[in-house]
Amino acid sequence: MNQKIIDIKNVTKVYKIGNIKVNALNGINLEINRGEFLSIMGPSGSGKSTLMNILGCLDTPTSGSYLLEDVNVAGLNDNQLAEIRNKKVGFVFQTFNLLSRTNITGNVELPLIYSKGKRSKSRKDLISKVIDSVGLAEWVRHRPNELSGGQRQRVAIARALVNDPAIILADEPTGNLDSRTGEEIMAIFQNFNRQGKTILFVTHEIDLAKHAGRIIYLKDGIITGEEIIKDPINAQKRLEDMPKLEDKINSMEANALL
Amino acid sequence: MKRIFENIRIAFKSLALNKLRSFLTMLGIIIGVGSVVAVMSIGASAEASITENIQSMGTNVLTITPGREQVSIGGREASVESPGSIQVRVGEDSEQRRGLMSGFGEEEDEEIVAGELYLKDVKALKEETSVLDEVVPLLSSMSGFSYMSWSGNVSVTATTEDYLNFAGYELEKGNFFTVDDVSNSSNVVVLGYGVLTDYFGKNDPIGETVKIDGKNFKVMGILKSVGYTFGMSPDNSIYIPITTAQNKLYGIDTVNQIMVKVKSEDAMDAATAEAKAILRSQHHILPGESSDFEISSSAQLLEMAGTITDIMVILLSSIAAISLLVGGIGIMNIMFVSVTERTREIGIRKAIGAKNRDILVQFLTESIVLSLSGGIIGIGLASLITGVLSTFTSLSSLITASPVIMALSFSTIIGLVFGIFPAMRAARLNPIDSLRHE
Repeated sequence: MNQKIIDIKNVTKVYKIGNIKVNALNGINLEINRGEFLSIMGPSGSGKSTLMNILGCLDTPTSGSYLLEDVNVAGLNDNQLAEIRNKKVGFVFQTFNLLSRTNITGNVELPLIYSKGKRSKSRKDLISKVIDSVGLAEWVRHRPNELSGGQRQRVAIARALVNDPAIILADEPTGNLDSRTGEEIMAIFQNFNRQGKTILFVTHEIDLAKHAGRIIYLKDGIITGEEIIKDPINAQKRLEDMPKLEDKINSMEANALL
Repeated sequence: MKRIFENIRIAFKSLALNKLRSFLTMLGIIIGVGSVVAVMSIGASAEASITENIQSMGTNVLTITPGREQVSIGGREASVESPGSIQVRVGEDSEQRRGLMSGFGEEEDEEIVAGELYLKDVKALKEETSVLDEVVPLLSSMSGFSYMSWSGNVSVTATTEDYLNFAGYELEKGNFFTVDDVSNSSNVVVLGYGVLTDYFGKNDPIGETVKIDGKNFKVMGILKSVGYTFGMSPDNSIYIPITTAQNKLYGIDTVNQIMVKVKSEDAMDAATAEAKAILRSQHHILPGESSDFEISSSAQLLEMAGTITDIMVILLSSIAAISLLVGGIGIMNIMFVSVTERTREIGIRKAIGAKNRDILVQFLTESIVLSLSGGIIGIGLASLITGVLSTFTSLSSLITASPVIMALSFSTIIGLVFGIFPAMRAARLNPIDSLRHE
């Protein structure tokens, strides 16, 4: 199997708003290998979201080629793109984007509903296994609005993983979370990456970007630089060093008593 | 297959989230389907009961009524028998006959004061016939009726002693009037069972004196209850000798109607021809002239009754169909609202791999489920309506299969037709924009 999961060459994207043409991407070249943990950094307006939409097959490039596992995605129609999104891409959004009226199992099951073949028995096993792997086994019957932000993002990660995609695309996955919960999410990503998952995430915080093995810097629709992180931040270790919120409250209580 | 159940489950879930809204949307379909099914069932059972009554009278009965036989097509007057022709009636007709004819709307503008029927016609028919079995004259009207302090209006049927046997009625008590009562114009009366219960309660009416249009009559018999005929109950009629009615009550010498039983059903045509010939010679009608009476058979009555109920059913069903249409528009409206509300959900589903077709089917299923549930509830409503009606009227509460199947397929089609545009709009949404939708 080819080591290259993603191979983008000279990809441009032009939006037309009325008569004005907006060049969101001006010739992007990017290769991503299997098992990589990659972050994309850039200020807002740099074309991060556009690049993510194209990588995630929600959008097609205006020109250039995009090979996802050796399939040229650039020329596919809506239905074929939907199938690729279903099978090869797992999305994790900043705002979670869970179905609020469906319980956790239902949310995680969603990608399976739109893919053919899986028997309901093995489907059930798969769902509970994936929910287990993000540590939400006790919450399966709950709805998203009964969960904390961190828990919701874990549901989203479970949903992204359930169809065993080629790549997980996370768009500012910790943007709506506090730093400790964000670190927990990064730990989960790193854990899955160690198990061989290819993960790409977008952030504008260098501290978070350094959890990845490679950082791509994006500005004005072109890649301005690339940095290999030799010793990425280990989120798990960091969590152990971070004081837990409850410990802090406990110690403050102790101080107050004194 | 599993997909379909999945979609139905999702549809029920999302409809359950807006219970009141879903119910109000369904209401149009509920009312539409309910009225279609109820109307068709009532129509069918009304027709069945009319048919049954006409047939119970016998399929070998001819009814002769006065009036010029004619068909008015382009103003031409046809003088030959035509089974569907409508006659002009002169004078008081029988209530039953009037009930049937009034819905027909084809009565002639020009009132032709033509022939009348007389007792001597009855006599001629009886004497000169070879195939006619029983001949009975009728003179019917509504008259004031009183017993002691109770009074009201009842339907008076004046006839001969042969009527009891002719109509197949049985006596509950006492006797029917005799040939002597008819020839003597006796003031005697036989009561229908309903009149007995209405006016006498537990009293024994035999031998009592009642007043009809102010004249004293002696009660000599009670008929057994027979139920309804043409929506009217003979139970609520009273029966007096025809001569008494002519001479003492109304002061006329004509009759409304002559009813004839033919010896066998095969001889109906021959009997019609014979009765016609006898009456034509009786009335001195020249060849080429049209008759001044009309002869119709029970088969014709059946056909007429069928036509009337058919017209009623078509009329009422088309009103109900309009309400179904309105209901369908309501569904379309609410589905558009639903698509807008759930744009983000659609975006999520699409991002995760739902194809346009998946979204289309999801929303289409929802509108069909909405409309079909309305249909099923509507059928429930219809059975309730017919059930209630059947306890207060003589109509049977039978809901027949065909309107139910029709209603179910109609509501499915409505869900499909009015759901397709909202579903298409949902399916075409762009996933990126939908995900940004608040």
